[in-house]
Amino acid sequence: MTAAPAWRRLAWAVLAVAVVIAVTPYLWLLLTSFKTRVDILSPQPTWQFAPTWANYPAVFIGKEYLPLLWNSLSIAGFSTLLSLAIGAPAAYVFARERFPGREDLFFFFLTTRMAPPISIAVPLFLFFTAAGMIDTLYAVIIAHTSFNLSLVVWMMRGFFADIPREIDEAAQMDGRSRLGAFVGVVLPLAAPGLAATAVLCFILSWNEFLYAFLLAAFEGRPLTVGIPGLVTPHGTLWGQVAAVAVVATLPIVVFAMLVQRHLVRGLTFGAVKA
Amino acid sequence: MGVALRGIRRTFPDGTVALHGLDLAFEQGEFIVLLGPSGSGKTTACRMLAGLDVPSAGTIEIDGRDVTALPPRLRGMGMVFQNYALYAHKSVFENIAYPLRVRKFAADAIRSKVQAIAALLRIEPYLHRRPAELSGGQAQRVAVARALVWEPAICLMDEPLSNLDALLRLQLRTELKRLHRDLSKTFVFVTHDQEEAMTLGTRIAVLRDGRLEQFEAPRNIYRKPASRFVAEFIGRPAMNTFDGEVRDGRFHAPGWAVPVEDRPAGPAVLGIRPEQIEIVPAATEGAFPLVLDVCEPVEPDILWFLRAGDRSLIVRGSGDDIAAESGDTVHVRFPRGALHWFDPVTGARLP
Repeated sequence: MTAAPAWRRLAWAVLAVAVVIAVTPYLWLLLTSFKTRVDILSPQPTWQFAPTWANYPAVFIGKEYLPLLWNSLSIAGFSTLLSLAIGAPAAYVFARERFPGREDLFFFFLTTRMAPPISIAVPLFLFFTAAGMIDTLYAVIIAHTSFNLSLVVWMMRGFFADIPREIDEAAQMDGRSRLGAFVGVVLPLAAPGLAATAVLCFILSWNEFLYAFLLAAFEGRPLTVGIPGLVTPHGTLWGQVAAVAVVATLPIVVFAMLVQRHLVRGLTFGAVKA
Repeated sequence: MGVALRGIRRTFPDGTVALHGLDLAFEQGEFIVLLGPSGSGKTTACRMLAGLDVPSAGTIEIDGRDVTALPPRLRGMGMVFQNYALYAHKSVFENIAYPLRVRKFAADAIRSKVQAIAALLRIEPYLHRRPAELSGGQAQRVAVARALVWEPAICLMDEPLSNLDALLRLQLRTELKRLHRDLSKTFVFVTHDQEEAMTLGTRIAVLRDGRLEQFEAPRNIYRKPASRFVAEFIGRPAMNTFDGEVRDGRFHAPGWAVPVEDRPAGPAVLGIRPEQIEIVPAATEGAFPLVLDVCEPVEPDILWFLRAGDRSLIVRGSGDDIAAESGDTVHVRFPRGALHWFDPVTGARLP
């Protein structure tokens, strides 16, 4: 076996450092979730300790955080579905049809993400209060859809533009309506892009804190909003914070691993062509 | 089944006019070729028939019924696209079966119809493959199979051979002709290639700048081109055409002249096909001398480029006619029936 060239070894070293930097905090979080309060607050942090399972039941059952997981899933799931259901057809029209002001309207979708989220937080709060939807999942789902929509439109336009127009036309000649061609042929062909976009939407919604905190601080709160609740007047319950954080990040980690191939392809594809 | 386009106009949003009131009618079983250079409106006309594009004015009739407003799926036509437009996520079998599935055919009918059309187009070995695993020729056969499998009355083809390499193009061309003979469907075929048009069409519609120049059988188009444009577009090498004037029983072009009979005096355009010019001995009646510039062998024929003023007169002859080299003088004769005359301003054919 020949020795690897020096630059190759250097590349590996750089990668190793990057991985350590990226993974260590997560590992530490994982370990912390299995530590007792004494071990966590010990002045000498250690890798070796007597693990405890107590943090998980304490927070998810004792403090009834389990429904928060369900809230997180519902909010991320439904806001993703809603964003795709509204955004994908819009992106398709942007990709296929010519109409006056098309590029301006397209750019408008992007501008909705340009303002700092906090700037529309108060109007959103007042709006949902007036609508009687404060502290419901619906409020958060709609709020998240509002920012995910621009992402869907922006990404999916590129994917649809990659599909030759003749495919739609062939489907119409084969007996489909315009809408039927979109649903029956174009959408399945855009499935990898759709999946990549969906994962991105899901992650953004899942991680979102500000709107969720403002619009659903109590019954409808997701895990992200639940964590600050563990900062008590008697001190921060680090073990439980870590337990919630582990559960909150686990689905994202698994999800990202499953679709990372599509994600990379999807993001580069869509971004370049749009 | 008769199809008629009546006064079809198409103006695009940017103001360009693709078709200026096209009138075209044909009958069941014909092989209609829409021929023209790019920008002539041939593809637009085909898409109007399909229902993929909507005319700005005019009507489209099938069997006397106005279908102008009908969407593609209700027109009973299949279509083959230049880039094949196969569904990449479906197998070849499912691609061909798709129009049948959409039209709710029974499962066993689908199987037998797909098998039958696949046998006809010799693509049975590939039925389980994905479109990405096919060569261009195979992919286009699949596209043809998909367009014909549900037995539409009319099959539209928009430059179906243009993406194939030369050899495959010839092969598939012959197969399309055979297919047309065997199925007795109406084919409408769009192309910019005059040879494809001449070999395939029962009638050719020559289009130029959105207007119909001539709509006749290939033989008539070749023998009696309706305009200078058609004359120059059909035939390889193209017809020789010269601007000049008829005077004193001779046609005078800049730098040379040729005797002609029975022509009224005045400016005119003379046309003659390279393959109809005769190279003759010097003493022949009606012959006139020209200097040989270049000759190009296109076995078994030879193309002679003769200096005619500042232009070339191209003659297509058999290689055995004469032995001449560049700079030699050769004598040519224009047979009487071979001359075409066109109006120098409008380009229209003169009697």
